[in-house]
Amino acid sequence: MKRILTAAAAVLALTGGLALTTPAVAADCPSGHFCTWQEADFGGQRANWSGDDGWWEGWIADTDSSWANHGISGPGVKDHVRVYESAWQGGAMTICLAPGQEVGYNGAANDRGDSHTWAMGC
Amino acid sequence: MLSVTRRTRRPLATAAAALVLTGCATVPARSTVPSSPQAQDELLGTAERTLVVRCLAARDLTLPDTAPARPPAPAEDRRLQAALFGTGPRELSLTLATGHTVTAHTDGCVAAARQNLYGDQTRWFRAQVTVDNLRAEAQARMKDDPAHRAALDRWTRCAAPPGRPRPERPGPAVAARCERESGLADVRARLEPVELAEVRALRGDQLATYRQLRTRALRRAAELSAGTTEQKGNDAS
Repeated sequence: MKRILTAAAAVLALTGGLALTTPAVAADCPSGHFCTWQEADFGGQRANWSGDDGWWEGWIADTDSSWANHGISGPGVKDHVRVYESAWQGGAMTICLAPGQEVGYNGAANDRGDSHTWAMGC
Repeated sequence: MLSVTRRTRRPLATAAAALVLTGCATVPARSTVPSSPQAQDELLGTAERTLVVRCLAARDLTLPDTAPARPPAPAEDRRLQAALFGTGPRELSLTLATGHTVTAHTDGCVAAARQNLYGDQTRWFRAQVTVDNLRAEAQARMKDDPAHRAALDRWTRCAAPPGRPRPERPGPAVAARCERESGLADVRARLEPVELAEVRALRGDQLATYRQLRTRALRRAAELSAGTTEQKGNDAS
């Protein structure tokens, strides 16, 4: 499901300098996994992976609207997640998240993900 | 079902192994920061994991494997998630030029570990999110370039020849062939270094903060590593 920007959210996004109100709802994403949801603010159907996926399944590809990295850090562990707009890590990298970082709101780059990979860094 | 490939994982790295192995040794502990970036990353990873394990232990929780073969029960994992990543409002928030608003909690064991290591988790969050996404920002800017737009048009025509419906998602083989034939890959390879240099200049203040706080964290991690070694040595004697 595509996220529809409300007028208020659009104004906030355009002004840039204002702090956005972030959702208080917890992103339920299993420990050790990267998750993406079909709707903003960690709503709708969720896909989660503990490993890489070079070609997301059709129901989540290009319908991703919020993301969370619940990876667990450690020495030599690939704990950052890079999300790409094309299959097999092709096209542009849309976002890179460290463990504990989440994106519940995306003003401009919504519904674009097609693949992701875990990496030591971004 | 989702196609899940388990992450390539390395066993406990040298730094962590050294901590354990030197537990019974009599060599004096030293808080030195290694020179290679890889060894520095390992030192930071070891320190963060050590701090997180201690924090979880204080809450009667244990850290599972990085990607456990069998995930814990949902209720149990939600408790672990809350302890690791925090709960309630997300106090840290930064909107990137790409439109993503990245958030994180300031409570939880991961946040506490970063506060301990980097000294200021708010400044570290802003610097890390910015620096981690310099490449994403450069790639987003690239799309405004006329040469990139023209190559992307050729790519689209390649993936969806006239008279045929455009596939919702071209297969990987088609996408790769069209990247080559349209020249899109070459255009990206030419433009990205230029855009990346501009973005790095634009975000110079955050890059400087990133380096400053990482240096601080490395010193702190080395102290922790030495302290752990000393403590283990004492315990063993």
